[in-house]
Amino acid sequence: MSTYTIKCSCHSVSKTFVQKETHFVHVLKDIDLEVRENEFLVLLGPGQSGKSTLLRIIAGLERPSTGEVKLNGKPVDGPGPDRSMVFQTYTLFPWRTVQGNVEMGPKFRGISKEDRRRIGQKYIDLVGLNGFESAFPHQLSGGMKQRVGLARAYANSPEVLLLDEPFGQLDAQTRYLMEQEVLRIWETDKRTVIFVTNNVDEALYLGDRVVILEGKLPGQIRTINEIPLPRPRERNSKPFLELRKNIIELTKLTL
Amino acid sequence: MDTNSSPTIDIAGVPENTPSFLDSCKSFLMRWHFLSLLSIALTLVFWHFISVHKILGGTFLPTPWAIVQEIWRLMGELLIGKNLFDHTWASLRRVFIGWTLACFVAIPLGVFMALNDVIRAIVKPVFDLFKPMPPISWISLAILWFGLGEESKVFIIIIGSFVPSLINSFNSLRLVDPALYDAARTLGANRRQEIMEVAFFGILPATFAGLQISLSLAWSCVLAAELVGGRSGVGFLIILGMNQYKPAIIISGMVVIALTAWFLTLALERIEKMVCPWRRDIKV
Repeated sequence: MSTYTIKCSCHSVSKTFVQKETHFVHVLKDIDLEVRENEFLVLLGPGQSGKSTLLRIIAGLERPSTGEVKLNGKPVDGPGPDRSMVFQTYTLFPWRTVQGNVEMGPKFRGISKEDRRRIGQKYIDLVGLNGFESAFPHQLSGGMKQRVGLARAYANSPEVLLLDEPFGQLDAQTRYLMEQEVLRIWETDKRTVIFVTNNVDEALYLGDRVVILEGKLPGQIRTINEIPLPRPRERNSKPFLELRKNIIELTKLTL
Repeated sequence: MDTNSSPTIDIAGVPENTPSFLDSCKSFLMRWHFLSLLSIALTLVFWHFISVHKILGGTFLPTPWAIVQEIWRLMGELLIGKNLFDHTWASLRRVFIGWTLACFVAIPLGVFMALNDVIRAIVKPVFDLFKPMPPISWISLAILWFGLGEESKVFIIIIGSFVPSLINSFNSLRLVDPALYDAARTLGANRRQEIMEVAFFGILPATFAGLQISLSLAWSCVLAAELVGGRSGVGFLIILGMNQYKPAIIISGMVVIALTAWFLTLALERIEKMVCPWRRDIKV
């Protein structure tokens, strides 16, 4: 096994939500996870398995009830531009154009207008939205909106990219295309990626490693699987289908 | 349809499906503008018919043409020292002063109420008591307090336009998608940037909706106030027409109000389109 650096890690992270002051919902329990530098890590689990909550904790949008998240060995305290997020519901700023959205992160960090423009243009070109700079989000298709989401996340030059079921709202064909695109973009400009999905094929197509979560709350890690297939992966190839069979076996839900 | 099966012969200059004369007439008749004009024309004809045959209102319903002539006459003739423009301007000025003052207080107050629990707890109970009172019910009191001058009319307008402005700006913050705050935070926004970026732009659409509603209420209020007591304004014209048994003056006043209010609505919409270019669903 080759050596690697740990970029981001979770140390016995648990999360309990309190509802109506007396009702406790245990969403995550004892999550220990190490994310390697520049790897494409996929969190795979069905709905209600706590995977989005784990991502939000890593992003700093939620605090863990116990345990801690570390980035480069330092504990994470709140959200920061070193971790960018792409949301399932796009959450683009509707009042900003494509360019305005992509430049938002650098703008918040007080980067000068010319530099913002340059950075923004670089990532707009990278995601293939050249020519749509002055379009508003409502004028774009779902796939294009998520390209803006990716460019916006990249523009802050984050160390970790967090993608929360980013293609969940797309139709099947657009989804295939966007999966190829996200790999192309990642291979052009490598970052540590944590990608949440409930789709086995997507997980196998994208991930260096796939973390399978338990199918019910509280969310726990069931297994972590290396995906040793070279890229680009062929979804109909024999090794892909064999791995798929294994993973589906591993993700089986129990009542 | 069957271009695949049978080869078509192209004769230069003769397109295969030239629309027939009947078809082009039909498509012209179905055009939006034509239908709109037709509906207005038919309404006027219907009105004329009722008026000429004295079906409604006896001699007190002038024909549309008589109204046009009356408006023309009023533009030149002085009523209590003022022509039609002066009276319209008197009403417009009151609406503008009252509505602007109300919005200047109500919109920030609504936002503060939404942001701050203490302010909400203090203001909301009083506002809830005050809200269901029809603004027109304040007229008598306003006249006793402020007399028959400008103040009482402006006061009624403030009361009337304050309520919808405040309700809309109070609700506007809750209509902002909370995930947008998350997006701003993960992009590195501090608390101030988060509010300036997300809340400021997010509340604009609902605020403009409140401005529109309160503007139309302001018009109702100015009319009511002028009907009860006043020596100028379109409402005063209408009362004058009633007292002098001249329905043409009354209807002229109604038409002028409709036109002015319509024009103001269009102007406000224009401003909204300029301020909020991302809104695609702005319609009359």
